[in-house]
Amino acid sequence: MIHFEHLDKYYKTKKGRHYVFKDVNISLPTDRNIAILGPNGVGKSTLIRLMGGADMPSRGRIHSQKNISWPLGLQGGLQGSMSARENVRFVARIHGYNNTKAIEQQVEEFAEIGRFFDEPVKNYSSGMRARITFGLTMGFDFDFDVLLIDELGAVGDANFRKKSEKLLLDKYEKTKLIMVNHSIRGLKKYCDAGVLIHEQNLIFFDSLGEAIKKYRDIYVK
Amino acid sequence: MNKNRSSLIIMRDTVHALMMREIKTRFGANRLGYFWALMEPIATVAVLGLIFTLVGRHSLANIPVAVFLFVALLPFKLFTNLLNHLSSAVEANKALMAYRQVSAIDPIVTRVIIELSIYLIVYCIIFSFLAWLGFDVVPDDFLKVLAASALLALMAIGFGLMLCSAMSYWGDAKKMVGIITRPLLFISGIMYSATMIPTTYWYLFDWNPIFHVMELSRDAYFSTYVTPVGSWLYLGICALVSFSLGLTTFYVNRLRFITT
Repeated sequence: MIHFEHLDKYYKTKKGRHYVFKDVNISLPTDRNIAILGPNGVGKSTLIRLMGGADMPSRGRIHSQKNISWPLGLQGGLQGSMSARENVRFVARIHGYNNTKAIEQQVEEFAEIGRFFDEPVKNYSSGMRARITFGLTMGFDFDFDVLLIDELGAVGDANFRKKSEKLLLDKYEKTKLIMVNHSIRGLKKYCDAGVLIHEQNLIFFDSLGEAIKKYRDIYVK
Repeated sequence: MNKNRSSLIIMRDTVHALMMREIKTRFGANRLGYFWALMEPIATVAVLGLIFTLVGRHSLANIPVAVFLFVALLPFKLFTNLLNHLSSAVEANKALMAYRQVSAIDPIVTRVIIELSIYLIVYCIIFSFLAWLGFDVVPDDFLKVLAASALLALMAIGFGLMLCSAMSYWGDAKKMVGIITRPLLFISGIMYSATMIPTTYWYLFDWNPIFHVMELSRDAYFSTYVTPVGSWLYLGICALVSFSLGLTTFYVNRLRFITT
């Protein structure tokens, strides 16, 4: 379970605090694949970042006994001035691996971006970034209980999609997903439960169909 | 991978990972940075030494010009380097804060270790070289030389941490580093010592803790030089106040570094 306790999150804007979440108290199960639903700007990425420890709540806390990944998304996670290889080494080292050779090789093979692997990440296309980010989870067996995925598939080509799909399904038994994806079809493929962001709060639905129905009721006119 | 690492081990791993990354950017991909770390102070001393020689001075306060200058210039470099690199430490590693293992203090710790190591190594190389040239370079009181540098480092770390926090509010704070350090080069007693200034003008210099570092370093290094103004108490207080203020502001702002 991932527990949210009295969680507030706001961003400072010119017109005062903009609340994304207000007093959220909920426990999300970690034995389900959960889709996060909501329109643009409602806080889906923020929620992923909060759970992944890349952002801090303004008040309250999030805690879990489970091993949760960092937010796999297009922003953040990769340092632009470093090459993909250096980024991979860095991530391996902070996770306690001393020998990074094997991991580098695996990510390189998965990503298939050729000599760009040793170029600074800031020169990458978004598709190439996605390949590295995804490859990182592949490269070493982190044994994450939950993978947080923020619209990663959206930028890949057919070949990459097939590969990442296979990767996710391979790990399906052990690793659960919490994902943001604007294509309902993409969500249906992986997820069986849903969380809807509504009125600065989270609503959990046991079945994805129900969540999508409610989402359409509220947001789609 | 070891799943049950203690917080301390995670920090060690993170600092190690950051260090490997930072060394590369600090010294450049082609490793020319190693050369410049050594050449920069040598070139400065060469130019200043040349000027002194041209005006007919071969010793300052009865100390050979080169040794006189290096004893003060190297700590000054340590001060400016710490200030420069600490103030931008968090900014330069922002993207890596996305990993929960990396907290704001880690790049600071990493850069402090790197700068102190560079300082010690450059110090040793330059003074070995001077010894080989025939200068008498054995410090009179080695521990006091070290203590002066340590207090200077503490003070610089404090200022660096404060600047780092300031930069999270106001990006141009970085420009302050240049504005502060440039005049410091002239008023910190690098090219002169207190004994070369008329007593009536000491008050213009003795408020500056870095001036005290230079005075105390020379006092400790040369048995022939006795500083008339250098005060361990004043320097110690400045270092402690700066260090604790720096740590406090950094701690108060630690979440800002991650969220913004």
